[in-house]
Amino acid sequence: MSEHKDTVGLHAFMQERRTLFCYSGPMTEDLLTTIANPVRHQLSEKETEEVVANRVFGVFIEQAQNIIRYSHQKTKATGDSVGTIAISLDEDSFLIEAVNVVSESKRDLLEATLVDLSVKDQKELRALYRQRLKEGPPETSVGAGLGFIEMARRVKKFEFDFQAHEFGALFVYRGWVS
Amino acid sequence: MIFEQTQRTPYVEISSSACTIRGECYPENISEWSGPVLEALEVAMKLENASFEVQIELYYFNSSSAKFLFDFFEYLEVTAEAGRDIAVRWLYRAEDDTMLEAGEDFQEDLETCTYELVQIQNEQIS
Repeated sequence: MSEHKDTVGLHAFMQERRTLFCYSGPMTEDLLTTIANPVRHQLSEKETEEVVANRVFGVFIEQAQNIIRYSHQKTKATGDSVGTIAISLDEDSFLIEAVNVVSESKRDLLEATLVDLSVKDQKELRALYRQRLKEGPPETSVGAGLGFIEMARRVKKFEFDFQAHEFGALFVYRGWVS
Repeated sequence: MIFEQTQRTPYVEISSSACTIRGECYPENISEWSGPVLEALEVAMKLENASFEVQIELYYFNSSSAKFLFDFFEYLEVTAEAGRDIAVRWLYRAEDDTMLEAGEDFQEDLETCTYELVQIQNEQIS
């Protein structure tokens, strides 16, 4: 038994940071189906306006599917994508956090995409979304390219970061919805 | 033909004169779900040449499903251009700006289909 596993500390940590939902481990579409309803339930418990809850849910789904599709860290047995996703309260907003490993080669593209999105206003994001839908993803895109635009449209602010990791780079995304 | 609603896919009803889509759309695999739906639509629309009514009432769809909706409307527009009388009603709930904007964006690419954005009350959700 490892005495250093601080169970009460874990509880206190999650409560203090006001985390409503957190999952860390292999992420699959089956798992997403299972957790989608409880996540919805958590959001409605807070007497959140339904449009806000829908925006939070929308960002959550895009992030979960990003982890499923693009996490560079896989389980040995089944090859499932590993990542962490959480929804917390932060002052008067919801904070949606996602962490997963991306390959070094994808890192630069992802960073360029997100820097580009971070300087666009709502009108430009809407136009870009329409353009991507019509023309399909650019050759340099990580995936369809629509997911990050969708998230940028639903959040009032987002931050991202890359940290060194043994399998590539650890990608950290934080989006605030209110 | 009816595609029953699931947790992650909307209810879809397709006949030779109408198509209704209602619910949420974020399937595990969009093409696995949308392939049969688009196929059923094409088959049904070839049965008759009378006017065709489309009613869409979505509360949420993910970015992968946006591509399905784009293809869906593109097929309707091409069919309308070929002479079919097609009327689309996009239903959105009051205050749901996300679905209103989505409805407006799809409208921009439709010239020959008749297209109407219809605000509904939240109570209508079953």
